[in-house]
Amino acid sequence: MKTEDNFKILLDIMHAANQHANRPAMVIEEETYTYKDLIGQAKSISHTLCNLKESVIGITAENRIETYASILAVLLTGKTYVMLHPDIPIERNRQIALQAGLELLLYSNLGDQVLPPDICVGRVCTTSYKPTYMAEHELYKKMKSNVPAYLIFTSGSTGAPKGVPISRNNLDAFYEAYQQLGWQVNENDRMLQMFELTFDVSVVSFLYPLTRGACVYTVPQHGLKYLNILDILERHQLTFAAIAPSVLRLSRAYFPEIQLPALRYLVVTAEATDLQLLGEFRPCIPNATVINLYGPTEATIYCTSYVIPTEGGKHHNGMAAIGKPFPGMEAIIANEKGHPLPPNQTGELWISGPQIMQGYWQAPEKSASCFVYRNDGKLFYRTGDRCQIDEEGDIIYCGRMDNQVKIQGFRIELGEIEYRVKQFYRNLADAVVLPICGPQGNYELHLAIERNATKEIAELEAYLQYHLPPYMLPKQIHLLNCFPLNKNNKTDRKKILQIIQNKDEYGYQ
Amino acid sequence: MDINETLEILNRIFRQVLKKTEITLSENTTAHDVDGWNSLTNMLLISEIEQTFQIHFPFREIVKLKNVGDLCRAIISKTN
Repeated sequence: MKTEDNFKILLDIMHAANQHANRPAMVIEEETYTYKDLIGQAKSISHTLCNLKESVIGITAENRIETYASILAVLLTGKTYVMLHPDIPIERNRQIALQAGLELLLYSNLGDQVLPPDICVGRVCTTSYKPTYMAEHELYKKMKSNVPAYLIFTSGSTGAPKGVPISRNNLDAFYEAYQQLGWQVNENDRMLQMFELTFDVSVVSFLYPLTRGACVYTVPQHGLKYLNILDILERHQLTFAAIAPSVLRLSRAYFPEIQLPALRYLVVTAEATDLQLLGEFRPCIPNATVINLYGPTEATIYCTSYVIPTEGGKHHNGMAAIGKPFPGMEAIIANEKGHPLPPNQTGELWISGPQIMQGYWQAPEKSASCFVYRNDGKLFYRTGDRCQIDEEGDIIYCGRMDNQVKIQGFRIELGEIEYRVKQFYRNLADAVVLPICGPQGNYELHLAIERNATKEIAELEAYLQYHLPPYMLPKQIHLLNCFPLNKNNKTDRKKILQIIQNKDEYGYQ
Repeated sequence: MDINETLEILNRIFRQVLKKTEITLSENTTAHDVDGWNSLTNMLLISEIEQTFQIHFPFREIVKLKNVGDLCRAIISKTN
């Protein structure tokens, strides 16, 4: 893709904004903003940005129109944005700012405390910006740029966050493929944006509706998130929602009361989807098509899709299949030597195509460890996910590579033990199995269960002994009142490990 | 039962469920003000409150509760 052709997603947003200027673009904290309001504000911030030489722009993640307008302004002016979250420890934000080479911070209501005072960057408050209606042709020249559209920082195994730069070409390749999934979405749709702005699913949850002239509903940061999500879905009769499956797990008790007949699309993403739980939720969404969308941040938001049928969805240990690669993307299952495996054999999922980033931000050694050039000259990204591809070409997710351990020489998939435990509790309790290095240097399996289930432990042990070989039986069982979630609404396995190791059930937020 | 009596019982439940003895709720307290009161622990708190007062909160009512004062008034209207 040539530079002059790029940024179709942004051009489509500007086109939709002109066409639907007086229609609602966003509803934030019950306040409605039209396309004219949103783009006016974005242009106004752009006006300031385009006169500055700084190209890496930090934005404080707030649930405010100024925050979303700032993202658009950075994209419009051909710069790179990095979201900084006020709930993330300030020291981590400092690391991110330094690694990203942050040059300017845009903030709104919360002030600029997201960064420590000694971080020397320009700080601009966007709340005082009044919408302006400047000519667009100047912006169109600026937005076509070769610098990344955004940088997202993910946790690195060494403790320092890794920056994933997503280029404008990556984003456009994603957009082109995403449209081909066949969504029937127009200006009458009402679409959910529930994800933290530091997580990349927020990018599509916010930008895609704007390309169609639809309205984006964000979720308040105060109160309890899952209740806010259900409330917005029901009260505003949303038609499209991408959610993390943890939202379903938390709201299970209310399934008999929830009715969302307006919902036409439910996207489940961010972590593996439990088919049984989804099945229980189906009566609440009688008119919705359910799609599982999968993708590592490094491959631009999502890169595979699977429409989960009402009956007989493909799965592995109860986790829904992730389906076929997006148009333009290629997937193979590789063995330890990097050779492609035949159907139904489990290996690591490698992906290739125009959505793959070029390499971690200023970290060539980290990039080298996750990229592989195959003999055909194609560059593949190693996802670290264990998968199979069936005869129909659907990819079945089997867990993380690091969720597989060897104990007494046996290869053990932790997900299989978790599946059995969940079956025992008829899916009313969640379970996580963690390998912990014992005193002799051997791995021992620890099972954490989210439930007050003391009485049934003996029965559970008997059940597991019946179904699993001895080397797969957990050495210790820990009962936790509830599992901690990370910022991206995924079960936080690392936190559970800490809790188990510290024997402190409640040592998390 | 009045607001203060309800608050006392809620204090006990919150301290027990969140394992924090220093919690003292007021009518204006929200989830944001209490360390450890989050989406996950809320499920446990609501279930404990429902058992203690022998009441049930439908989803529609739960989402309308904006602070502890609202919660107290909802409990009182269900128990009286």
